[in-house]
Amino acid sequence: MQKKIALVLVLLSLIGAAVATSPQDLLKGYESRSGKTSQARGEQFFNTKHGKEWSCASCHETPPNHDTKHIVTGKLIKPLSPNSNPDRFTDQAKVEKWFKRNCNDVLGRECAAQEKADVLSWLLTVK
Amino acid sequence: MKTDFLLSLLFLLAMPASAARMAMPADAPKSYEAECANCHMAYPPGLLGQKNWQNIMSGLDKHFGTDASLEAKTQTEITQWLVKNAATREKYAAFAPENRITKTAWFIRKHDEVRAEVWKRTGVKSPANCAACHTDAVKGIFNEDKIRIPAK
Repeated sequence: MQKKIALVLVLLSLIGAAVATSPQDLLKGYESRSGKTSQARGEQFFNTKHGKEWSCASCHETPPNHDTKHIVTGKLIKPLSPNSNPDRFTDQAKVEKWFKRNCNDVLGRECAAQEKADVLSWLLTVK
Repeated sequence: MKTDFLLSLLFLLAMPASAARMAMPADAPKSYEAECANCHMAYPPGLLGQKNWQNIMSGLDKHFGTDASLEAKTQTEITQWLVKNAATREKYAAFAPENRITKTAWFIRKHDEVRAEVWKRTGVKSPANCAACHTDAVKGIFNEDKIRIPAK
């Protein structure tokens, strides 16, 4: 039975189907690959520049609980906090795609599990 | 009367496709809207030539200053569709410097009366933000009576 489930999961990931998840499960996943999570550190990480032109808040603003605009193109960005926008952090592939892109833009590298855990734990407190 | 009608019909048919109307082809893959229209409007592929689209799609990790990288499968799907629907008439197919629609000769000529200060307004932000002034841009309508320039 477990083998069957595993097979289905492998097949799903192969065809690139969206794997539904929740912010809480994603957070657990990041925490399992990092040290103790800190909301304060996540908040600071989000609002600070990291050697490049933008911070996370450049586009998402702070607190990220409302519609904002892309800093360059002006395109609408829906709220990032899962409390304001229940669609956020519910599709694993989408989350990792955007972390990859945006971390490259803000830090010039991919984010570590610790950084993702910190930021997500803080976002979950943003009302 | 009937001749008038036929004549005007012929006239309409004979009108060259112009950027005043640059509709999105009906066969756009879902990924185009999902992947490309998050940060900017889904530009109709007819606004650039094949070579420009190929350049853009092969450099998504450095996409006008941001990382817009895609999974290989999605990247191929979108590239093929853009190239298939790229501009063919010389005016729009001519190579755009820096792969920017806003650097094409036709774009510059069409916007030559827009003052530098207007482009910088908060409601505009960037010449890439078509819909700031072209209220029906997402429907592919760019003609002049649909223009509303934000006051600030």
